[in-house]
Amino acid sequence: MPDTLLTIRDLHVAYGPKPILRGAGFDVRRGECLTLLGANGSGKSTSMNAICGFVRPSAGSVSLEGTELAGRPAHAIFAQGVAQVSQARDLFPDLTVEDNLRLGAMRRGGRESGETLAHVYARFPRLAERRAQAARTLSGGEQQMVAIGRAMMSRPRLLLLDEPSGGLSPQFCEEIARIIDQLKADGVTLLMVEQNLNLAFRAADRFIVLRDGRVVDGGDVAAMAGDHDAIVRNIYL
Amino acid sequence: MLMQLTLSGASQGAIYALVALSLTVVYRSTTVVNFGHGDLVMSGAFVAYVLVVGLGLAFLPAAVIAVVAMFGLGVCFSRGLIRPIRGGPHIGFALMSIALGYTLRGIARTVWGREVLPMPRVFDIEPIFLGDVVLTGDALFTIATVAVLLGLFFAMLTFTDIGKMVQAVYQSERGARLVGINVSRFHDLSWGTGAALGAVGGILIAPVSFLHPDLGASFLIKGFAAMTLGGFGSLGGAVLGGVVLGLAEQYAGAYIDTALIDITAYLLIILVLLVRPRGLFGRKAVVKV
Ligand SMILES: Nc1ncnc2c1ncn2[C@@H]1O[C@H](COP(=O)(O)OP(=O)(O)OP(=O)(O)O)[C@@H](O)[C@H]1O
Ligand SMILES: [Mg+2]
Repeated sequence: MPDTLLTIRDLHVAYGPKPILRGAGFDVRRGECLTLLGANGSGKSTSMNAICGFVRPSAGSVSLEGTELAGRPAHAIFAQGVAQVSQARDLFPDLTVEDNLRLGAMRRGGRESGETLAHVYARFPRLAERRAQAARTLSGGEQQMVAIGRAMMSRPRLLLLDEPSGGLSPQFCEEIARIIDQLKADGVTLLMVEQNLNLAFRAADRFIVLRDGRVVDGGDVAAMAGDHDAIVRNIYL
Repeated sequence: MLMQLTLSGASQGAIYALVALSLTVVYRSTTVVNFGHGDLVMSGAFVAYVLVVGLGLAFLPAAVIAVVAMFGLGVCFSRGLIRPIRGGPHIGFALMSIALGYTLRGIARTVWGREVLPMPRVFDIEPIFLGDVVLTGDALFTIATVAVLLGLFFAMLTFTDIGKMVQAVYQSERGARLVGINVSRFHDLSWGTGAALGAVGGILIAPVSFLHPDLGASFLIKGFAAMTLGGFGSLGGAVLGGVVLGLAEQYAGAYIDTALIDITAYLLIILVLLVRPRGLFGRKAVVKV
């Protein structure tokens, strides 16, 4: 049986009376990249936000190696080593690239943060060149690099990536895929939401499909190679 | 004459700057306009007064205890009365802060009635004469204290990790949560800091004016006027606005009509909102009240 890092069971999330997740459940295995697929509005971002404490599940369990996270505040979950790169990126626009990155390590990452910063700059040389520039002056792709770099600064055990390719060019998608490979090599476990199926299948080990608030399908990416059509039908129809 | 007016304007303006800055600290981090802030300023002064006159403490320790006590009150207010209504309509915060202000004022009135109390002077040193300009110990003490405090405040904001976290929360609360900052606790500490800075203002003004339970109302308006001048929500603008207001009051009072001293703040609010709604220093507009 594979080693599981995150276990989600029977997760329910509602915004007011409107239920979004209705009993979703899945596992994320240690060291893998799992991709969460689903139509627009199917609750992918909501799932990410429920895991990292931005929304409070009304029922169900989110367990990180036996530690229950559901219902705990976001900063406490972050302290357990769960970081998110959100769909909106949520950078600090008027702070410099370097300050944005360093902030990622201030509450977690501690003494090695200088080393981690060097590591992030090595991964993203473009950010090193622009370290003194305000984040709002960067291009969309560069901003996404800052968002990913900022999350890396906390040395997370589980990294949540919400549509890392959103609105970016194909070259950038390839770059994201390489970063994901490197993160996996560093021992980081990833849960990714991605609409770009090329990226989703290039970078991920497994996928699951969210529909009507539940997980309806899933499998190994390798086994599905070349059969994207079947998956697409399952997601969007 | 001009020098003398400038000096008293600066010393008055230093207090306004502190009050406006403390209002802005709360406003920027929580988006709550604290209508009870004037009464926090008054309470700080009264706590110091009780410690000095009632318990016989020296001014400095009394001032420190009063500031710490007001910090605690600010934190408790945020934790106990603001946090529970956070999901509700925004007007609830304003009403809650008004209720806090009137409660504090009511308590002060119950104890002291409408008496006007003299606080012992702190720096009863001989005034220094520079030509025809008179430097009083109080004015020097006020200006120096505020200058040091503001220097420390802005240095911390700009150069320390804590300051970066504060700026981070100001710029994106979601981003701050993404980097593990406990935003609720940050709000509590901001209320505490606002109350403490406001209390410093009250304590500085106490020895040079008289204490009375309704003291807060005028400070609230002066604070709002300074904030409007500096661009509502800007920290540096609040400080500059406070100084400009202090000077404007003195100049207008001396060169136009003494009656203007009391209404300069209102006139400036009206004028600035009509002519330069972003404030004198023209930062980009800061959203919703
Ligand atoms: N804060 C909120 N308040 C109310 N409704 C919300 C909130 N956030 C999301 N929703 C609703 O929940 C549903 C799921 O949203 P979510 O963002 O999780 O979808 P998604 O699968 O990430 O979609 P997309 O692919 O467009 O990013 C949507 O119908 C959305 O309108
Ligand atoms: Mg989404």
